[in-house]
Amino acid sequence: MTTVDIHVVLPTRPEGVRHGFGHLREVVRAAELGTLTGAVVPFDADGLESWSVAAAALRDTRWLTLAAEFHPGVSTPVYAAKVSASLQRFSGARLAWRLAVDLDPAVARAHGDFTVGSDRYLRAAEFLQIARGVWRGGQAAGPGGVKGGFTFEGRFFDVLDGGFAPPLSLMPFPQVQLTGASPGALELSAHHGDLHVFTPPTLAAAAELTERAAALGRTVAIGVQLSVLLREDAAELTGAPERDEVDFAGTYAEAAELLRAYAAQGVSTVVLDARPRIEETYRIGEHLQPALQGA
Amino acid sequence: MSIDIYWRVGTHGDQPSLRRRTQSRGGFVDTPVPGRLAPGLRDGVPDGYSYADHVADVVRASETAGFVGGLLPSFPGTDDPWALAATLAQESRTYRFMVAYQPGFLHPVQAARLTASLQAATGGRIVYNVISGGGGPAQLWWGDKVDHDDRYARTSEFLDVLKGVWAGDFSYEGRFYRVEGAGLPKELAGQPFPEIYFSGSSPAAIEAAGRHADYYLSWLEPFDALAAKFAQVRADAATIGRTPRFAVRLDVLARPTEDEAWDEIRRGFANLSPAALRAFEGGGDSVGAARSRGFTGDPSAGFRGLEVAPNVWGGFHLLRGGPVFGLVGSYQQVAQRLDELIGLGVDAFILAGVPHLEEAHRIGENVLPLLARDHDITIPGKDEQ
Ligand SMILES: Cc1cc2nc3c(=O)[nH]c(=O)nc-3n(C[C@H](O)[C@H](O)[C@H](O)COP(=O)(O)O)c2cc1C
Repeated sequence: MTTVDIHVVLPTRPEGVRHGFGHLREVVRAAELGTLTGAVVPFDADGLESWSVAAAALRDTRWLTLAAEFHPGVSTPVYAAKVSASLQRFSGARLAWRLAVDLDPAVARAHGDFTVGSDRYLRAAEFLQIARGVWRGGQAAGPGGVKGGFTFEGRFFDVLDGGFAPPLSLMPFPQVQLTGASPGALELSAHHGDLHVFTPPTLAAAAELTERAAALGRTVAIGVQLSVLLREDAAELTGAPERDEVDFAGTYAEAAELLRAYAAQGVSTVVLDARPRIEETYRIGEHLQPALQGA
Repeated sequence: MSIDIYWRVGTHGDQPSLRRRTQSRGGFVDTPVPGRLAPGLRDGVPDGYSYADHVADVVRASETAGFVGGLLPSFPGTDDPWALAATLAQESRTYRFMVAYQPGFLHPVQAARLTASLQAATGGRIVYNVISGGGGPAQLWWGDKVDHDDRYARTSEFLDVLKGVWAGDFSYEGRFYRVEGAGLPKELAGQPFPEIYFSGSSPAAIEAAGRHADYYLSWLEPFDALAAKFAQVRADAATIGRTPRFAVRLDVLARPTEDEAWDEIRRGFANLSPAALRAFEGGGDSVGAARSRGFTGDPSAGFRGLEVAPNVWGGFHLLRGGPVFGLVGSYQQVAQRLDELIGLGVDAFILAGVPHLEEAHRIGENVLPLLARDHDITIPGKDEQ
């Protein structure tokens, strides 16, 4: 039976009086116990930093995949890969990367990032090439060991004789998730993405992405991220003030149908954004998962 | 101010002892085989544990043994200190994570956000060891082409920007960094800024340390050389009206008697090949590392020849990866030397011993209680400043 993996969005800023790592850990546990596949830590200029959140969440779980969203200006690609190699070791390879390429210009400048236009996609491509390159590149060496064999001199970053040695290189590179529907975003994904997450209105661009990737001999998995309001029956939905603010409002049975329809279009992953996060994540595990699996 | 005593964490696995340079913890050699742990093998299958699980034990041992926290080093072949601190943030109560990092690799806004998030996760237990790199092939391995003195200029600018972002509503245009309207979100703002331990022995380092160091951190050197270096740092900082505190990072090999301590060294030395005795990692531009090499003796003349002053031994780099000098002696002698260092102006120690877990207990239980009581030692969780 065609089905999809369910991921949820983690809280990076307060929700009422709930806040910080205490709140976060409850949502993470809800997703883990609810047998969901993964969770996304958004890059949130007004909230907690995503690497630290992902690391804490990985430590609290055994199964969940954690996608940390960040932009390619936060660090050198070698350093991002180095931090990630440790997180892959500590978590049994459950870390994913989500690269935020298309930042709001004022947010980007406040983060020290003045790269604009198509350069942002070029830089993201270099970032991913180098990160993957050093991950694969290494040979055995001591703690200071530096005979990497991977050299890349790009427009934005350089590495000379870089590359991780075992055991840092032994884990798989994090799954690369990308977003956006512009030609630049699709091109980046076609070359470097593992999973491309669309919003519902832009899902139509998935076919183009698949085509571009196929031309390069690659496949990129397709995901959809949507905000939802889900209830057991229609009566509970009528009059709910949130219904106009979400991408989808419906019963669990209707949501299961929607997800099956997505699956039939080739979508493998659905990222649900539902609040309040603790309760809604439990309900997704208890109501939507079984409805989707036909239980 | 009381004396803060930290216990280092190995981020490159650990050896069961100094007797053999064989790693057994953390999967840093080959795949798991019986006798190696974290990951270990059960019925031939890796047991699902990772090096973080062993480090969690070292963290707990350090905490119970009376250390205020630990230094987490960062080199090409190690696990990453930010990753470790973020992973273990929730698994300790008083332990301070001293994260070693090179400013060039993270953007200062990201460093501010990451630090503030970890301060929130730990209740303010992040400390910085700001390092500016040893140059040579390792620097290029990291993707960093900036040369020695410019690395310190960058470090200085990085810390200016980081502190500006921490304070909020910050714009800046410098040689290395530019930001516009940077700051921390409401939830992360207003937390304590981490203490800065600052390393480097070159003039460029000492100048930058004068501006930024809360603690000027040095590897152990012969005591007179160390005192002279501290005097220089003190003088340099005084020209801009600052007074840094001083910290020393050293290994300690202490046993009930001095003979037992030297016997450990003798056994380790006996297992070294002639090639290992000649090998001295080099190739970088680190002034501090060159100083250390200059102060110690020729290892081919035997291990006792490396004792440059009573109990001060310059051969630790031969028995495990890392710096040259440490103390070897009875519990009483090692405590006495630490007291002498405090007398020279040392305000904080980062001690280390192999294996880190067991030696944290040994030193915490047998050496720290012998330190003279005319200076206060920070008791974790009790008299935090
Ligand atoms: C106590 C101490 C700890 C250090 N830890 C690290 C480390 O974890 N990673 C690293 O690359 N360098 C480390 N260094 C080395 C510094 O990056 C730098 O190479 C060294 O201080 C030499 O600088 P100098 O040329 O100014 O003397 C450390 C230095 C000291 C003194």
